[in-house]
Amino acid sequence: MAEVEDTLKRIQGINGVIGTIVVNAEGIPIKTTLDNSTTVQYAGLLHQLTMKARSTVRDIDPQNDLTFLRIRSKKHEIMVSTDKEYLLIVIQNPAE
Amino acid sequence: MADRSDLKAELERKKQRLAQIREEKKRREEERKKKEMLQRTENVSEDSDLDRKRRETEALLQSIGISPEPPLVQPLQLLTWDTCYFHYLVPTPMSPSSQSVSPPSETGSQESIDGGTVGRTLQWDTDPSALQLLADSVHGCRMQRLGASKIVQIDFMPKELVTYCKETQTPVASDQPEEEEDEELSVTKSEPVPQQLEEESSQEAEEVHPRELTNEEKEQIVHSEDFLFFFDRSIRVMERVLAEDTDIFFDYSGRDMQDKEGDMQAGSNLSFNRHFYDEHWSKHRVVTSLDWSPQYPELLVASYNTNEDAPHEPDGVVLVWNMKFKKMTPEYIFHCQSSVMSVGFAQFHPNLVIGGTYSGQIALWDNRSHRRTPVQRTPLSATAHTHPVYCVNVVGTQNANNLITVSTDGKMCSWSLDMLSQPQESMELIYNKSKPVAVTCMAFPASDVNNYVVGSEEGTVYTASRHGSKAGIGEMFDGHQGPVTGISCHNAVGPVDFSHLFTTSSFDWTVKLWSTKHNKPLYSFEDNADYVYDVMWSPVHPALFATVDGNGRLDLWNLNNYTEVPSASVTVEGGCALNRVRWASGGREVAVGDSEGRVWIYDVGEQLAVPHTDDWSKFARTLMEIRANRGDGEEEGVLELPA
Repeated sequence: MAEVEDTLKRIQGINGVIGTIVVNAEGIPIKTTLDNSTTVQYAGLLHQLTMKARSTVRDIDPQNDLTFLRIRSKKHEIMVSTDKEYLLIVIQNPAE
Repeated sequence: MADRSDLKAELERKKQRLAQIREEKKRREEERKKKEMLQRTENVSEDSDLDRKRRETEALLQSIGISPEPPLVQPLQLLTWDTCYFHYLVPTPMSPSSQSVSPPSETGSQESIDGGTVGRTLQWDTDPSALQLLADSVHGCRMQRLGASKIVQIDFMPKELVTYCKETQTPVASDQPEEEEDEELSVTKSEPVPQQLEEESSQEAEEVHPRELTNEEKEQIVHSEDFLFFFDRSIRVMERVLAEDTDIFFDYSGRDMQDKEGDMQAGSNLSFNRHFYDEHWSKHRVVTSLDWSPQYPELLVASYNTNEDAPHEPDGVVLVWNMKFKKMTPEYIFHCQSSVMSVGFAQFHPNLVIGGTYSGQIALWDNRSHRRTPVQRTPLSATAHTHPVYCVNVVGTQNANNLITVSTDGKMCSWSLDMLSQPQESMELIYNKSKPVAVTCMAFPASDVNNYVVGSEEGTVYTASRHGSKAGIGEMFDGHQGPVTGISCHNAVGPVDFSHLFTTSSFDWTVKLWSTKHNKPLYSFEDNADYVYDVMWSPVHPALFATVDGNGRLDLWNLNNYTEVPSASVTVEGGCALNRVRWASGGREVAVGDSEGRVWIYDVGEQLAVPHTDDWSKFARTLMEIRANRGDGEEEGVLELPA
């Protein structure tokens, strides 16, 4: 729906946001604002990391589940909001 | 016909032989059985030995006694000649000769027997040896009968890859997603629809790890209710996170910030691009001069002095390097019999390279000719130079240009490039009518063809002019305590004119900023810890200049930022003394020549190299500040000189 597009555009327009990717449960990007190679790279890597994080959380407490993952690096901040099937990945430059 | 009769005779012989062979075969089998029995009773060795010996002797006797021992040989030959016939007649006798059929495991050819029978049963041992003997005799008797042997073609079917077409809804493709999907399936309840879509898409592109969904599939997913639910929730959270921009890592002590700035600056402001070095021509030579081509911004000419390690090589070498291509060999190689101390592209003649040498000769090379030696040279006479020429410069316009050269005995000559046999005019640079000036460097201010500044070995700087009433040395600028190695006039063109400024570098570890209006330096930069070998203003930025020193340091000074320390600094790899620095005409690259024959090209970052529009006014203010500071410090000896 148009809402999804508009919302993604709005997110992209926030100052400091580098890119937004929506990934499905298999790691295949569904929607993205970055170029293809970067998208595929991010989607694959973050999907694996999210799965690992999720399994970690569940190992500690089976009733628990992963909801949000935030990776802060020197240059960027990668935020992954996750649920059962999809991942919403936003990469921003936190200095701005 | 003869063959036919032979064949018949042989047939008869064959029959006899076959009978014999059958008997032998039976015998062997019996013996084998006996041996097995004996093996069970553990009496193998003796009997087998006996048997073997017996058979060996028999074989020997047979071979020696009667020349053709057809029973064992003939089948072989007949096999080669007329296989089908032989097959029809005698299927079994192939076995003893080929020794293949009877033991169930063995098949095939003669060669296998010799090799493969050791250790099978002891009976076999005799036969290969017998056969060999017989074969030898065969070779001895019949050499001429060679026919085509039947090629036994054995084809192995290609290994069948068993693949299954998966049409069920179980997870497919690579292991990892399988595992993950299993996990998910086991852990969560999966919606059937998106799963199906995903599986279908994954079937479509199985092996490729970055799989792609078609647009329709993507649209379908996006429109699914499940996705919208997820998206709604996630976006809410994400926006909140994005809205909170607090830098949780902020360090109030400021150390972090400094590091960041430093890194960014060092990383982007002055970065190594490439270096030029030729094993043959630039090894062990000092780079004495550099120049960028005005016509082709990617061409750089470098001159080198003698290579002490190679006395038979020419003393002076000039190489033209190309920045555009990655190749590490020079575009052009020029030689000269004397070390080249200064070099430059002829401004208005794109094909000419001018070099001033140690002997005082000016050499002119042309890249249109295929010669490596100069196409024109000035004479070694008293009318021209007799001392090393450290400065060559082409000044003027397209139609009226001259080559100005100055040597260390204070002689300035002006040449026309068409005729280098004698100078158009020459002048002795004498200060106060007594002292000739030992000129080490020379610079013309931008767009001035008459007046120029020279630096001398004594550490004094002079202005000079070529024509006019005051031709010759003008004012003296005193300030340096050591020989002046480099001099550069401000040549960035902008709203404010700074062409009266020039900088000098010297052996006294300092770089000084002068104005032609004052005979004392405006400012002295004392950040170096070694001889400063060269200085050059940026051609585009009004407040930026580069210096190189003997420690291998390349410094970029931006006077609008700091006057105390360089704004960017880098030490060249290898730590060799750097002899020359030259800005590229765009002001974005700096070429540095060192004492080992290497030319280093550094990229200057945009922040530093590209001037802002207000940099000119800023620099004017900086100058005023400098003057004010200096005015406070020194008040004596400052003469306001007529411009």
